[in-house]
Amino acid sequence: MTQASSSKKKISPLPKPSRRLLCLGVEGSANKLGCGIISHSPSSTPGAATSVTVLSNVRHTYITPPGEGFLPSDTARHHREWVVKVIEEAVKKAGVRMGDLDVIAFTKGPGMGTPLQVGALVARTLSLLHNIPLVGVNHCVGHIEMGRQITSSHNPIVLYVSGGNTQVIAYSQQRYRIFGETLDIAIGNCLDRFARVIGLRNDPSPGYNIEIEAKKGTRLVALPYGTKGMDVSLAGILHAVETYTRDKRYRSWDQIPTGSSPEEEDIITPHDLCYSLQETTFAMLVEITERAMAHVGARDVLIVGGVGCNLRLQQMMGIMASERSGRVFATDESFCIDNGIMIAQAGLLSYRMGQTTPIEKTGVTQRYRTDAVHVTWRA
Amino acid sequence: MTSYPSPSSSLLEQGKLIKQGAEAKVYLVPSLLPRPTIYRPTNHSTAGPSSPRPSSSSSSSSSSTSTNDSGVILKYRFPKTYRHPVLDASLTSSRLTFEARSLSRAARAGVVVPQVLWVDEKGGVLGLERVEGWSVREILGGGAEGELEVEFEDGELELGEGEGQEEYGPDDTGTERIDLGGEEEGENEGMKALRRLGVSQEHLMTSIGTALARLHLTTIIHGDLTTSNMMVRLTPDGVQPYEIVMIDFGLSSTAQFPENYAVDLYVLERAFASTHPQSENLYAGVLDAYAKGLGEKKWRPIEIKLKEVRRRGRKRDMTG
Repeated sequence: MTQASSSKKKISPLPKPSRRLLCLGVEGSANKLGCGIISHSPSSTPGAATSVTVLSNVRHTYITPPGEGFLPSDTARHHREWVVKVIEEAVKKAGVRMGDLDVIAFTKGPGMGTPLQVGALVARTLSLLHNIPLVGVNHCVGHIEMGRQITSSHNPIVLYVSGGNTQVIAYSQQRYRIFGETLDIAIGNCLDRFARVIGLRNDPSPGYNIEIEAKKGTRLVALPYGTKGMDVSLAGILHAVETYTRDKRYRSWDQIPTGSSPEEEDIITPHDLCYSLQETTFAMLVEITERAMAHVGARDVLIVGGVGCNLRLQQMMGIMASERSGRVFATDESFCIDNGIMIAQAGLLSYRMGQTTPIEKTGVTQRYRTDAVHVTWRA
Repeated sequence: MTSYPSPSSSLLEQGKLIKQGAEAKVYLVPSLLPRPTIYRPTNHSTAGPSSPRPSSSSSSSSSSTSTNDSGVILKYRFPKTYRHPVLDASLTSSRLTFEARSLSRAARAGVVVPQVLWVDEKGGVLGLERVEGWSVREILGGGAEGELEVEFEDGELELGEGEGQEEYGPDDTGTERIDLGGEEEGENEGMKALRRLGVSQEHLMTSIGTALARLHLTTIIHGDLTTSNMMVRLTPDGVQPYEIVMIDFGLSSTAQFPENYAVDLYVLERAFASTHPQSENLYAGVLDAYAKGLGEKKWRPIEIKLKEVRRRGRKRDMTG
């Protein structure tokens, strides 16, 4: 395999930029509204790679009260209220003018319908005002391209875990192919909904609060383990962990004993449930990632998406990868959680390939699979 | 008693690590185990088993010529330290047990699977007959691009600088076959060997479908059907020039509804689509042969379910 592949290097089809190219990305597929400006400039020394700079990355999150999720209409209202401020700040921070932009990228899908429409509408308006071409971007591809850029991992297996998506992806022949995915709800959805059941705050995010509470958990309760080949099923686990909150042994926040050795008592605390939920679901995710790695013979893993900033998940993935002498790449919350810059990055890549989206084709779609995108910028 | 190391551990020490799969490390040891006497598939190699030899006998490997003497695969499900130990122990033991049971059940029903030679549930070790040949994935030539297999460390790839300026070819030949020595084979030796025998890709697909039907007729669900988990073994003495050997039954279970069979098929369908985008149309041949092997009466309900299962993936484009 080694001998064969080293002789089969392919030249990237991506043309080098002749001057500095600027792209504004507008993202609003869920409860985060993000705008960011990225630049691709020719390298200063000949032969070196194109230099990619994040000029600004601004985000505003719609946070709901504890116990409540975000509804599409309210989320869209939030985006409408904030979008002008967020864009203004992104442009100001980047130190450019709107007229300097070469292209505007927006999230075409997948995501919630009405919030998506806000982003597309704003992008269209700016495009007409300043006469700048548009590029529609697949949200998932945005995550992958930003992760690849930040971590310089070239051809990893991608685990994309967020509130709306759970997929194991590998690149092959100009598509990001889905090897495994969730059969029902996404991992972030599962964690967020459980956070609401036990009354955790949505600030900064329910998943983050679960991660914090899980650190205090000591007892592993039995939960179903739902891997099916390279797919996972999470809905049953959510139901099972919810059932524990009605167990006789369950103690809610104000009933947790503060004695000397609470570990020995036969009770179940919210901490234990957070801990058990994380341990079980993350083990499943790591397992399907490992299956995909073994199947295609890959070594590196890239974790993207909001759940990807969970340190326990990163740690488990790291252990698995090191056992296979591979590496794990992950990014911090500014790039893991939905943001505008990732849309800008993916948008600029397709712009450099000569692709733009005519305004009559800038409609959004809630259903847009990762493998539906023709990845022209990779060999 | 408890202070003694498990008998498997000394076997593992003698073994050579040849592969690290998703679940287990795979070791090869010379045939030190007693010859199998029971779980022998009936449809090939009718030669009677010789009497069991003591495991200390070292002469067996040198005098060996038939496939059964070419070595024993030890599948060691090592503790996964990323998992909680309690969770890990229960998963490991249940999967090992299921694999051993399914393999022996399948073998008794005449499905071609590796023979089970050794089961050490506590030690997490399963000893299996070594299957010489290529996985279907290698033959169809899918897989990661420019990635390395664990055992061939030489010739590290130099990665291109910057943002993926250089990429690697899509059609790496898999040389990760479970084999030792002579790794210098060129592109896709498996397919070449089949071509020499006059076997086309279409014929291979038919064989896969037939093998799958035979497996499903025993009500065993594989649970992890991918092209990596099917081996092609040449059978110079057989009626057919080769046979399909199903491996890796760690996620297997027993079917109760047509739904279970349909999901099993769908897993394979997805594996084809994602690993072998070029040969996706070949998959139709698998289904045809499967339907024929199963018979109309059994196939109908599964066919209906399969259509249902296909619609289940998330975010499918519904606009048509």
